[in-house]
Amino acid sequence: MSLSADSMRCGEFRTTYKADTTIFPTPTSRNFAIAGVIALLFVPLVFDSYVTNLLIQIGYYGIAALGLNILVGFTGQISLGHSAFFGFGAFASAWIANQGVPVILAIPLAGLLTTAVGMIVGIPAARIKGLYLAIATLAAQFILEDFFNRAEWFTGGVAGSMAAPLTLFGYSFNTDQSYFYIVVFFVVVMYLAGTNMLRTRDGRAFVAVRDHYLSAEIMGINLTKYRILAFGVSSFYAGVGGALFAHYLGFVSAEGFTILLSIQFLGMIIIGGLGSVMGSLMGTAFLVLLPELTDGAVGLLNAVVPGIERGVVYLKEMAIGLAIVLFLIFEPDGLAHRWKQIKAYWKLYPFSY
Amino acid sequence: MIRSSKLTLATVTALGLAAAPAVAADDIPVGHLAAYTGPTSDVGTLYGQGVEDAIEYINRNGGVNGRKIKRDTVDYAYAAPRAISTYKAWISQLKPVFIQGWGTADTEALVRFVAQDKVPYMSGSYSGHLTDPTGKQKHSKNAAPYNFFYGPSYSDACRALLQWAKQDWESKGQTGKPKFIHMGDNHPYPNAPKEACAEYAKDLGFEVLPAIVYSLKPGDFKAQCLTLKESGANYAYLGNTAGSNISLLKSCETVGVNTRFVSNVWGFDETAAPAAGKAGDGVIFPGGTPWWGIDAPGMKTMREISKLSDPTGEKPRTLHYMRGVCSVFFMRDAMAMAAKNGPITGEAVKNALEQMRDHVPAELEGVCLPHTWTPESHRGTNKVMLYTSHWNDGNPQIKHLATIELPQRDDWLGW
Repeated sequence: MSLSADSMRCGEFRTTYKADTTIFPTPTSRNFAIAGVIALLFVPLVFDSYVTNLLIQIGYYGIAALGLNILVGFTGQISLGHSAFFGFGAFASAWIANQGVPVILAIPLAGLLTTAVGMIVGIPAARIKGLYLAIATLAAQFILEDFFNRAEWFTGGVAGSMAAPLTLFGYSFNTDQSYFYIVVFFVVVMYLAGTNMLRTRDGRAFVAVRDHYLSAEIMGINLTKYRILAFGVSSFYAGVGGALFAHYLGFVSAEGFTILLSIQFLGMIIIGGLGSVMGSLMGTAFLVLLPELTDGAVGLLNAVVPGIERGVVYLKEMAIGLAIVLFLIFEPDGLAHRWKQIKAYWKLYPFSY
Repeated sequence: MIRSSKLTLATVTALGLAAAPAVAADDIPVGHLAAYTGPTSDVGTLYGQGVEDAIEYINRNGGVNGRKIKRDTVDYAYAAPRAISTYKAWISQLKPVFIQGWGTADTEALVRFVAQDKVPYMSGSYSGHLTDPTGKQKHSKNAAPYNFFYGPSYSDACRALLQWAKQDWESKGQTGKPKFIHMGDNHPYPNAPKEACAEYAKDLGFEVLPAIVYSLKPGDFKAQCLTLKESGANYAYLGNTAGSNISLLKSCETVGVNTRFVSNVWGFDETAAPAAGKAGDGVIFPGGTPWWGIDAPGMKTMREISKLSDPTGEKPRTLHYMRGVCSVFFMRDAMAMAAKNGPITGEAVKNALEQMRDHVPAELEGVCLPHTWTPESHRGTNKVMLYTSHWNDGNPQIKHLATIELPQRDDWLGW
């Protein structure tokens, strides 16, 4: 029986390593992805800026969430300081841009600066793991937060600092509609880079460190190097995400980068699926849209339960907490796993065994 | 990854349509940033209610030249980034002609945005940094051409408090230099008058001690009170809002501090006095209106406005509530003035505000202070009313202490 490349498959037919590590298992899935990106390009033309704004949020948080997933989901380290790196990237990019560097260069440069900070913070990871590492990264969170409040030359202190809008060839990307394309560009580049990195020798080393650090070391993997490298890569993503956030909002202030945001990042990757590139984006989308859905639901409920609108702020926070708990109980592998199951269900329908 | 976003798009679209505010073509869109939650919600709810009631009153009584004000209230929980994203959403959807705002951090961050988009902005922040529309004065950091606020600036209020403190010091026959200390969170709002006030204190012959930081969130502040006690300060300026100040006053009572406390405009009020108990005895605070009990022609309107959210009409309102109402009426008058010469646009309303000379909204005569804004100065008033709280054996009373008029000084603009 001969199978054409895009006919329906009912099992795994991988005979080479190349086939095993391919990003898109079928041509259809690749075409879908490309068509998806192209469809995204029409979003600002079709939808209003409310939708665009939400997608931009999903974009910059999604980049940072992928960074955390590389650290937590792929390398098995833990970090409670991700929002501090996100914030550092935001301040660094605003600062670099204020020195006269074009914003489009400031964003990756801010990522590199954040990488350096992340690797310094990651040094304890060479010696400690688990809860102890969590506390070490918590310390980084507090140190950086305090730094944001005090380093007036860098962050503008408690008053915050202005981030110049991104300008290319005299065109200023200062509306939601135009900035959306910048975010799409970065999301595509960063996600492709992330996926590809995880297919390389270094990426496999990350997974080996996560699965069993002793075996990994016996196989000749330098644990210290890869643990710190994971922090570096993760911080790069956080830095770029933060920089995109800074130039989108136009203003950076220390109060936004608290431990709460770090926990939300963890929530994103847990809900999306630890150790899944696609899951990072799904989880981010979920957590960004959840408060909006709560808003909508409260708006509908308002007719039945008058006065509930006053409590919408609390309900939003509660919804996030509830979502995390429910996911931990019913879908610990996250949305990515659920998505795979849905695909498998239709692929094998009606003979799922 | 792509499919997920496509899936969610449908939901998002549905939501987007539901969330888009319905503005009738004739309505005047006004954004209202309120702090109903977060660290300043204690006074933010009082002020915000004033803004909401006043707009409702105007709409029920003919609107602005027959046009209704379409208010969009957003609770931003005193988080500056949330205020900015709300602002950006407004600019693309609501397209507000005017914004009634709140905190210092967010207002100061928005200064450049509102100037660029030409949206006049009346803030609950009375930061002195917002008073220089040209940005040319000695101490001003940047131009704030579209920023306005009702009442004396934080810096002016602090200067008035210093004048009073100096008199108090001399009247008690004290000799030597009185010691003055600034207390507050490390946050743009308590920090706003810090330098300006310290500078004036030195001019008046005070010794200025290093500032003490205490959180905007109420807590146990005994450590700060011990530092205050050791410093030997005679007069301490409280930069935070009432909730935080009440816990500081209580902590300091426990520790046994002998300092006279003077507070910023949001730092003490009629509701704080009973809550602070004996610790609040003698605290001095500025206000931008006479207080609720006064017999002024404008109080009739004020009581009508208050009834909109309190049908019994018996609830005494705070100075914060009344300032919120006054802010809205100045906005209304400016809109009405703009309407006489053409369409009501942000720029026209700003120009109208800048033409006001000792202006008082007609229905609120005797309640709102006369204000003067010009293209060179957004220091609307330099008159500061000082109030003090008397414990009165468990039956606290607020008394008018003095009204201090500060000099017009150009170098005080933007500071």
